[in-house]
Amino acid sequence: MSAILATVRAETFKLLRKRRIYVLAFLYWVLLPAVALLVGRLLYTNLREFEREGLPVADLLQSLFSAHGLATVALTGPAYMSPTAYIVGVVLLAALFIGEERGQNMWKTVLVIQPYRPAVMTGKLVVTMGALLALMLGAFLSAIVFGTIGTSFLPTDLSGDWLGLLGLYLWQWAHLLAAVLLAFLLVFLVRSAVLGIVMVLLLPGLIEGLYTVLNTLFNLQPLTRFNAIFQALRLQRLWEAAPRYFFTTNLYAPGRAPARDIASDMLQSSVQPQDLGPLQSLLGTTITLGHAAAVMAGYALVFGVLLYWLFGRRDVD
Amino acid sequence: MNAITATGLTKRYGAKAAVADATFTIEQGEIVGFLGPNGAGKTTTLRMLAGLVRPTEGSCTVLGQPVPGATLREVGTMIEEPSFYPYMTGRSNLRHAALLHGDVPPSRVDEVLEFVSLQDAADKKVRAYSQGMRQRLALARALLWRPKVMLLDEPTNGLDPTGIAEVRESLRSVASEGVTVLVSSHILAEIEKLVDRILAIDAGRIVFDGPLRELVERMGAPTVTYTVTARDQAGLLAALAELGYTPAPRNQDGADVTVPADEADLLIERLTSKGVRVTSATLRGEDLEGAYLRLIDPHRRPS
Repeated sequence: MSAILATVRAETFKLLRKRRIYVLAFLYWVLLPAVALLVGRLLYTNLREFEREGLPVADLLQSLFSAHGLATVALTGPAYMSPTAYIVGVVLLAALFIGEERGQNMWKTVLVIQPYRPAVMTGKLVVTMGALLALMLGAFLSAIVFGTIGTSFLPTDLSGDWLGLLGLYLWQWAHLLAAVLLAFLLVFLVRSAVLGIVMVLLLPGLIEGLYTVLNTLFNLQPLTRFNAIFQALRLQRLWEAAPRYFFTTNLYAPGRAPARDIASDMLQSSVQPQDLGPLQSLLGTTITLGHAAAVMAGYALVFGVLLYWLFGRRDVD
Repeated sequence: MNAITATGLTKRYGAKAAVADATFTIEQGEIVGFLGPNGAGKTTTLRMLAGLVRPTEGSCTVLGQPVPGATLREVGTMIEEPSFYPYMTGRSNLRHAALLHGDVPPSRVDEVLEFVSLQDAADKKVRAYSQGMRQRLALARALLWRPKVMLLDEPTNGLDPTGIAEVRESLRSVASEGVTVLVSSHILAEIEKLVDRILAIDAGRIVFDGPLRELVERMGAPTVTYTVTARDQAGLLAALAELGYTPAPRNQDGADVTVPADEADLLIERLTSKGVRVTSATLRGEDLEGAYLRLIDPHRRPS
């Protein structure tokens, strides 16, 4: 049997014996759509009277609380949490598959039983991505079930662009590979699951926050030494373009993509990205999915090369 | 065929060499004891043989193939403290290892559990296991894929005397099937009962490599100690004193006496000629511990 397949089987066996995966599934598959339906019902009860005044309550309920709406919320909602539910899922799995091997002193066992290290790492990645896919597709299916139930007490139906939405789910899932590689890399690098998790949660935000601080400094008026040097080096345009390459902005681009449509429904008009003002960056509308995919592929490549190189060379102590 | 070879194996951490120029070979089917004080380099050597640590210099092979490599799949290891996933049962931990290996039939899990007498505790979570049970489970895991080579680091740590004897018998049984065993232990009496050959390491260097008997002979003390019992303890003590020895009374009917090694054969005959009715005489010959302690500290006086 191939080393990768053997690792996949063993790590799946381990994953299914870990309570956290069932907790995640319950939260994502049951609690989120149930709470959403409850909120939908409350909104329906309380907003019904505003319908006569022109508020498109039915459209709003269809956008958010129909089967398609719930599936959209299950994709988009986790991308707007802080930290996002996606990254929480990723770090929990990284802690299990990488951090725990260190914490329980299991590398010395695992890497003798299966000494081909790239295969072990690949097997762990496959199971992690498989678990994330199962969680996401499970949420998609549970949204259909809950949405169907919702049609009995909400003015909603099963219509919607299902294929397009499923495509976004798969797109978002593919983007998570870069996050998984980053989480594996950091948890392995710092040799501590807890510290690794903290770094995964904080590091991208920290770097992006640092940019904001520096941006403020560079744009200070009158001319400062910082922005004088900056402009002299003709880096201004590059600097301004930097946010387009931020990790988190691109990571959640597919998940946040439906938010614009929902915002349009809520604002009762077909809103173009440029018309959204301050909401524009929040809703993730400034970058295309193709651009985001290319950026995430770049991140995945860098993190992947570093991870495999380190994992292949480091002594197990 | 050599089961294990190490050629100039060296591991440095900064300027300090944990293992320096270790060279040895172990034949298939041999049981070799790996001795050394704490920090001597035993575990680092075992880790290099298991492919977990990359040598700074030198190389090693297992079953003729360079390490690290696929041949490690035929190696069973217990290195330092046994480690498991505590939230899984003993059986699940073994099943996980079997799946990870990929070539272990499911029935083998029950076989090894029975071999180490853990079948009744197999479905308990490992976090509830005692140290001895964890040691035995680790031995079971090391045996799962019927390894041809076993690298065992202190396998009897934390075991009670019965457990130690069980592990010893298990290893004997394994070795009788032609498995090569390299076992380190601090319990020298255990090594003495188990192995034919000793590799001794001190300060990262191999200081002895040869049969156990040769170590004892080479580092042997100039005296040996007998425990003698007789019907008349007073007569025994008097006769020994007359022969010029300094006996120490032992229990109600015996005495311990240290005699020059070249007079050892004559002791019973001399006592009999003095009318002592000797009922037993046990030669407490030079043991591995004494020889080993002198090996790593040549100035040590015999106790």
